[in-house]
Amino acid sequence: MVALGAALVVFLFWTGSFLALRWAGDALHPPPETAPSRVPFLGGRGPETHAWSRFHVRYYAMALVFLAFDMEMVFMYPWAVVFLEEGLTAGFEMLMFISILVLGILYGWREGAFRWA
Amino acid sequence: MGLRSWAAGVASGAPTPAFVVAGAGGRWAAEELFLEPRVAPTLSPRAADALIVVGYLTEGLMPAVMLAHDQIPPPRLAFQWLPDGAPDDPLAAMLPGVRVVEGGGLVEVIRDAHAGLLAGRGGGHEDAWPDVDPAPWRGIGPYGQGGKGMTGGVPYGRPLTGRADDRDGLKLDRLDVRVGPLFPAFPPGLELIVGLQGDVAQEVSVGQNPFEGALEDDVFRRALREAVPIAELEMARARSHLRWLAGALRVAGLPSLGRRVLSLAVRAKPADADRVSRLGRPLARGRGLRWLAGGVGALREDLGGPVGRAAGHVSDARSGVDEYRALGFEPVTHEGGDALARWRQRVAEAEQSLRLADAAGDATVGPPDVVEGPRGPLGAGPLLELLPDVLVGMEWGDLVTTVVSLDLDLEEAAVGAGVRA
Repeated sequence: MVALGAALVVFLFWTGSFLALRWAGDALHPPPETAPSRVPFLGGRGPETHAWSRFHVRYYAMALVFLAFDMEMVFMYPWAVVFLEEGLTAGFEMLMFISILVLGILYGWREGAFRWA
Repeated sequence: MGLRSWAAGVASGAPTPAFVVAGAGGRWAAEELFLEPRVAPTLSPRAADALIVVGYLTEGLMPAVMLAHDQIPPPRLAFQWLPDGAPDDPLAAMLPGVRVVEGGGLVEVIRDAHAGLLAGRGGGHEDAWPDVDPAPWRGIGPYGQGGKGMTGGVPYGRPLTGRADDRDGLKLDRLDVRVGPLFPAFPPGLELIVGLQGDVAQEVSVGQNPFEGALEDDVFRRALREAVPIAELEMARARSHLRWLAGALRVAGLPSLGRRVLSLAVRAKPADADRVSRLGRPLARGRGLRWLAGGVGALREDLGGPVGRAAGHVSDARSGVDEYRALGFEPVTHEGGDALARWRQRVAEAEQSLRLADAAGDATVGPPDVVEGPRGPLGAGPLLELLPDVLVGMEWGDLVTTVVSLDLDLEEAAVGAGVRA
């Protein structure tokens, strides 16, 4: 019963907030839109091409590196569990694994793959 | 008390957000609005409540000013400020509800009108352009989302971007963007048509100069005809460099420092050379500026003026003048010719000019053959034509840094050494 009451309070609070925001939005209603006001501001001229452009996802190289290291973190969980038992051997093995990945990053860096622009 | 009047009361305490347009002869007066605490110049008309045109409108500026006017959310205010109180501007009538303010008192007029606007009185809703799209939407579907393919339509007559080679071997969309003539980071009136691939400028051309043959008669132009005091000439040069520095700092994202430099520029006296050096030297030598402008936009040829001297060329019309030689004048130069060298060059020249003005006393200089203006010898070829070659291949941030570092003045470029009749 208490849980139901709490849920009801939460529901009423958010519904009330939503309605209050809607009312505030209407009370401070924005002016109607006209054709010149729809044009993006570029310094006083209109655009010559429309906004649907095929965008180059230039951060794709960085996204791939992020994924690689994300997966590597997954490997490190079981490794951390056995690290104390295995000792230095496990440490060295992980060091080798990470070094190979880091070498890949350094190579990509030298090739300019991480240039954002 | 309704929500509206409560919000209006809160808002009226804040400075009036205004989009400031520098028209012909209004560049420096427009800059000085940045020193006014009750007016907050905005970067876009969308953030503004008022349009302030400082100086005269021209045919070339008019379409852009009208569009900027319409992009201020209504109800909006429009002002034209003629600081010298000169004759009326017939073009201003094309802005609906514009109020012309002559001479002083602009800020009081704006504040009154803005308080009224917030309380629901006054302010125009009328656009300067007709409420008609440049072309009808020609896509099909419930949202006009196109014909064939995902982006098949030609919405409002604007075609899809063309594709061009990118530097990683792909063929991707290249955006052709016209930036200016009211782009706040550029000198007033400069319009660049930039082909952007990502944020790399693949092609740059300069739009038409909106100013035509109209220039105030300043001390540099008077010096071509008559003897003028050296102190006056050098103070004007120092002010010009400091104003440039203030604007450049603002674009670099340091508006407070820019305001300090601007107030120094407005109030500078010959004895202020030490203040300029205290303010400017750490800045010119700092790591931040090197990171921003080092190696950017190098121009190594002798282009005259501070730009040429920043590339190590000792070319200064003043060094051939006896009156200057008597003061021990030696041109300052820097090495490299990049944007960083140009920043340092102007800071050093501002300081040098103040010292010259201090040393000159009442000495005058007779009309020399060539007058060295703050942007090089008057009437010399403008840097504008060089812009496309310099800017191609730059990333957008470097492009803006380079344009700013050249201290372009389009009004001056339009007339050369001439003056308004």
